[in-house]
Amino acid sequence: MKLGIVDEYSDFGSLLHRWDPRCKLIGLMVLIFAFSFIRDLRMLLAMVVVTTTIYIISKLPVSFIIRRLRYPSFFLLVVVLILPFVSGQTIIMSIGPLDLRQEGLIAVLLIATRFISILTIGLILFGTAPFLTTIKAMRALGLPSILADIVLLSFRYLHEIGSDLQKMQMSMSLRGFDKRGLNIRALSIAAWLSGSILVRSYERSEWVYKAMILRGYGHAPPARGEFQAHSRDVITLGVFLLTAVGFIVGDILYGHGVAALLQ
Amino acid sequence: MHIPDGILPVPVTAAGYAATAAVTWYSVRKINKKENSRQDIPKTSLLTAAFFVVSWIHIPVPPTSVHLVLNGLLGAILGYFAFPAILIGLFFQAVMFQHGGLTTLGVNAMIMGLPAIIAHYIFRLRRFGNKESRWKTGVFGFISGAIAVAMSVSMFVVILLTNIPADLDVGTERAAIYTLAIAHLPLIAIEGFITSLLAVFLQRVRPRILDGV
Repeated sequence: MKLGIVDEYSDFGSLLHRWDPRCKLIGLMVLIFAFSFIRDLRMLLAMVVVTTTIYIISKLPVSFIIRRLRYPSFFLLVVVLILPFVSGQTIIMSIGPLDLRQEGLIAVLLIATRFISILTIGLILFGTAPFLTTIKAMRALGLPSILADIVLLSFRYLHEIGSDLQKMQMSMSLRGFDKRGLNIRALSIAAWLSGSILVRSYERSEWVYKAMILRGYGHAPPARGEFQAHSRDVITLGVFLLTAVGFIVGDILYGHGVAALLQ
Repeated sequence: MHIPDGILPVPVTAAGYAATAAVTWYSVRKINKKENSRQDIPKTSLLTAAFFVVSWIHIPVPPTSVHLVLNGLLGAILGYFAFPAILIGLFFQAVMFQHGGLTTLGVNAMIMGLPAIIAHYIFRLRRFGNKESRWKTGVFGFISGAIAVAMSVSMFVVILLTNIPADLDVGTERAAIYTLAIAHLPLIAIEGFITSLLAVFLQRVRPRILDGV
């Protein structure tokens, strides 16, 4: 599997690219959670408008989001195909033995719109800054240093270990391994292949640790002042937070109420 | 087995994040108590990356194929590091491949991570009694691998079907739970078998890995 690179357009110069990564993390994550509150169909429309506007401002190409929607849209397809026929009592029409139900259709619309909007905002969040910068922003916002170190190191070696796996699978194919059948031999080979990857990675980690110690790992003073938020960044954050609050208040005002949100 | 964005209501995703924060805090506290926890960070990082890569290996289960989960083995090897490792793996999945989601990261981490910690304790039982032997490693490897995935599947199915924003009647919901659970039985058996083989392989080739980080 090709490693998904999400920050390939991080060098663009849009407003969102220039936004302080810490403010961007807070602003877009709050907006994402506000989106997951929405249950009202009119607010869904507003959500689509806001998401599209932010995507246009980000200047990310349309092909980027279309490519990224491919994997998760399989799940969406399953939901779209099943829910309208099993959820609800109001039958709109019958297709052979299957009854198309209104409640199921509304549920599909709700799930699909929220799903695509949240996914788009997530892609903007991680697509408008280098991935490592976003992780450093998380650390600056209080992510424990152990977690930040593990994230940065894992990310650093994902490509190499992935490349090891590809080479080993290619060697297996060249030696005539047929991966199509399900039998004990195929499972054993899959286990040994996985085991080899784990052993290689474990051994590599020992060398990595020695190299890190030689470079002063654990003794360097924590980086300060890595990010600087200007008034423009804070104002943009304020706009996003107000938008998020607007969505929640709007959904409550349109009749679902707090009780509905808690369902 | 990753719940995507847009399905779960906010109270559930918020509870998922709260529970994940609590377990992560407890795990980090346990890790910090270790004598040389810094030494374990590169091991955990590379094994996290390795487990992530190993999950790309597909096993053919006609007419489709399944990918390895291995949260049982991850728990067996990494112990308390397993929970943060799974959290990070799921974060990579959500950001790089859009599997799972950002709002559901906490819930998904609980679905995969809690069984991993339980698998860690199950796998440790192989040391009771007589000397550690290959067959005991194999048996406890199978049990920890199968139980971890079975628990994850159960949590996934129950959380998904009880919180989906759709009006499902009790009969449909029950039928869906049974269908999804039965559909995952081959995966549980395969995971147990592969975890068992992998544990024996590691014991033969690098027994130090099984001592944990």
